[in-house]
Amino acid sequence: MRIQPKRTAWLACLALVCTAAVQSDTIKIPFTTYTLPNGLTVILSVDHTTPTVAVEAWYHVGSKNEIPGRTGFAHLFEHVMFTGSGHVPYGLHDKLTEGIGGSNNGTTSNDRTMYFETVPSNYLEAELWLESDRMGYLLDTLDVAKLNAQRDIVKNERRQSVDNQPYGRAGEILSRAIYPPSNPYSWDVIGSMEDLSAASEGDVKNFFRLYYAPNNAFLSVVGDIDPVQAKAWIETYFGGLPRGKAITRPSVAPVTLQDEQRLVFEDRVQIPRLYVEWPTVGERSDDRFALQLLGAILSGPRTARLTKALIYDQQAAASVSARQGSNEDVGEFGITVTPRPGHSLTDLEQAADAIVEKMKADGPTAEELQKATAGEELRFISGLQSELGKASRLADGAGFHGDPGYFRTEYQKSLAVTAADVKRVANQYLTHGRVVLSVVPIGKVDQASKPAESKRVTDGNAPRPEAQ
Amino acid sequence: MTKTLTALCTACVALAIASLAAQAPLDRTKIPSPGKPAVLRVPAWTTSTLANGADLMVSEKHDLPLVSFSITFLGGADQFEPPDRRGVGLLTASMLSEGTRSRDGEALSNALQLLGTSVQTTMGGESGTMTFQSTSAKLGATLDILADMLLNPAFPPAGLERLRAQRLVQLNQAKAQSGAIAARVFPRILYGSAHPFGQATTEESVKAITRDDIVAFHQAYFRPGRALVTVVGDVSAPAAKAEVERALAKWPAGGDKPAFTYPALPARRPSTIYLVDKPGAAQSTFSIGNPGPPRNTPDYYALQVMNVILGGQFQSRLNANIREEKGYSYGVNSSFAYGKGPGPFRAGGDIVTAKSDLALIEFMKELRGIEGSRPITDEELTTAKDALTQRLPGTFGSVAGINTALTTVWTQGLPADYYQQYGAHIAAITKDDVLRVARKYIDLDHLAIVIVGDRATIEGPLKATGIAPIAITDIEGNPQTGQ
Repeated sequence: MRIQPKRTAWLACLALVCTAAVQSDTIKIPFTTYTLPNGLTVILSVDHTTPTVAVEAWYHVGSKNEIPGRTGFAHLFEHVMFTGSGHVPYGLHDKLTEGIGGSNNGTTSNDRTMYFETVPSNYLEAELWLESDRMGYLLDTLDVAKLNAQRDIVKNERRQSVDNQPYGRAGEILSRAIYPPSNPYSWDVIGSMEDLSAASEGDVKNFFRLYYAPNNAFLSVVGDIDPVQAKAWIETYFGGLPRGKAITRPSVAPVTLQDEQRLVFEDRVQIPRLYVEWPTVGERSDDRFALQLLGAILSGPRTARLTKALIYDQQAAASVSARQGSNEDVGEFGITVTPRPGHSLTDLEQAADAIVEKMKADGPTAEELQKATAGEELRFISGLQSELGKASRLADGAGFHGDPGYFRTEYQKSLAVTAADVKRVANQYLTHGRVVLSVVPIGKVDQASKPAESKRVTDGNAPRPEAQ
Repeated sequence: MTKTLTALCTACVALAIASLAAQAPLDRTKIPSPGKPAVLRVPAWTTSTLANGADLMVSEKHDLPLVSFSITFLGGADQFEPPDRRGVGLLTASMLSEGTRSRDGEALSNALQLLGTSVQTTMGGESGTMTFQSTSAKLGATLDILADMLLNPAFPPAGLERLRAQRLVQLNQAKAQSGAIAARVFPRILYGSAHPFGQATTEESVKAITRDDIVAFHQAYFRPGRALVTVVGDVSAPAAKAEVERALAKWPAGGDKPAFTYPALPARRPSTIYLVDKPGAAQSTFSIGNPGPPRNTPDYYALQVMNVILGGQFQSRLNANIREEKGYSYGVNSSFAYGKGPGPFRAGGDIVTAKSDLALIEFMKELRGIEGSRPITDEELTTAKDALTQRLPGTFGSVAGINTALTTVWTQGLPADYYQQYGAHIAAITKDDVLRVARKYIDLDHLAIVIVGDRATIEGPLKATGIAPIAITDIEGNPQTGQ
């Protein structure tokens, strides 16, 4: 899966303007791609609709590259990337983005970390200078004070998005239940408070040298650009950065669970909620397309099966969702149900199971499939309006699939899914091997689904809050 | 490395410039200077009136086969909902998806799914909308369904009861969310229960709404006399007008634009900390502020510049201090709500529980700072102006973005050349203007400081700051008895 930079590929691609035409001539993002000798993969796409440009630097590193005891590090590192670099004092990055009417941010997933700027297009050179400086010279100005400041901020991010959010802990509890501790998908991107406290300056330096080298990076530039000028600037600012060492990536096989695991977690919530999750497949498997459609057929519009049954016909649920989530190597299919008063999680689990079993027995109808895919064209075309959205699509394709134009494949494969495919994946993945988690108000363990069979999750086997 | 690169590049015409550049050593200490700024291109639009009296604005954009459509109603829940029926507007809006005289809710949903789209109906405080985005080929068919929802709703009682039950669950869940509690308590403290801004949808009001209330709200509210139809995208202006006239031909004329008269604001009270207990909370949610000016204030541009400096951006004073320097938060900010009425000025964010007192000290320091104790620098002023002016072109990048830009001109009564003149208005703002509006619109002696957090941990330290007396408040914003 890893992109091996090759000089031949670089030369070949210079001559190649890869435009796409699939079923519909609207499914296209014209782009050119090439790889610099130091391994940096570049993707350029011209769009003069507005005088703006999006720059995205995409690194093939995420929380799955962390080691136990340092969970949350990839994301903490992302924050450090905003603290200035060799030639860019702290604050200048923001001044040269939001200070000129643009914006910037970064995100970290299990699999990749990306940084992006959207700015008036006359500032493109400045953005390339900024991104290249932190790719090449981050460590020049790093000190422990900067690390500590970002550590506090990340802990606040965890408090805000996890600890102080009703149901906020569900994600990490499910991950830990599905994956064995040795599996890097068993911890969440945000990490634990303890591990965030343990991260050292040395960790930052080693991580940077290995993973933030050009050979592990993809630079996607989309918008109101002159491609010849853009290439020249990219050569100027990135061309001289040294290639890094070869990277050993964790090899992660999708997991299966033999048995059902039943858990209950007490949280500061008013109303209990049921989570059912199955291990499935990730980006590497085409089964994810059928699983995505399965989610769209089970929940969403009022005619979707779980929505119709639980919310409309039985009036037992206030909300329900079913969806496939795909990471690079693994994925999960999850169903979430919030009950209406007077309806127990036990009953709702049973009702949801009955719907899933019927889908496994009969598969979807042709019309269900048609409705689930009818919005694909609109979603794609609408997405073309965002330069940043296009930059991310192109970089994701290049990073995960070795092809910036993978969006075409993805589109085709989504539309090619048959009713038989959906029925097959439902039977193959939505099996007895699953996790059933009830999140209940504190002291209300009896509100769990099948409380007697559910094991309590306590903070003893969950990340502990750090000492203040 | 550089030499190798240059050798390779000679093979390639496209990189000729790069090979020239590579011969001069790169000075990375030099910030690349920007190229010539692009000329602002504001989308053109046409304005006309439909036969039923609704206004129509159309802007053509043909690069993608896409259309953004909306009907915007002037006036919203704060103008049209009775105080004891708060929530009836949103419930009525949701009921439009529950079926028409010829199509039940499932049939409506199926028809829209097959068109690959959906119609959203929303209800805000001062406006409501029906909106969709479609491919240009599906515009007419989607418009027909929207018209059926608007003109022929069936309001089935079963649908009402289901939506009511869902709303009650949401209101119950909100009691556990610090942000939702703050969003209720802060306006209640600022405006009081007699002012529409201080009223909220409650379990009682939702339970009281009848089907008759829904029918009455629909008849009174969804009228063309207060409506703007906006069409943006891959359709010609005459064709758009013809399509809209055809689809909405049976919408009878009627309805007035509301006057937006609001009751007087309650008398200002000395600054007070309103503490809402959320036992065990990992963070304290801060909302600090006072009622602000309406959108049509002549001080709008100065306030925009002032707020960018204070708390409108990442490197604004509040966030630079409380998040970046002190590490007390994942992010704090400030904003003015504007609108037709005196929407609030609010500064706030989520603060780690143990630093609640220190964060409050810093919030107050920055509010005093913007009012003169920390003079605005030339750089702050220039950066704020550049940020505001240069973000404008990006807002016209999507059909939905252009739709919002057009609709705002209509709802807020802005001049037709508003976007063209925006830069000049911002450029004229001086440091004195910024200082003047900060002092005028942020009343340091009469601030409501609403903090939702773990009382047992934070009450003592907050009190010790001496910043303001503490009033313990329940999650509805009422004084809590038996303190």
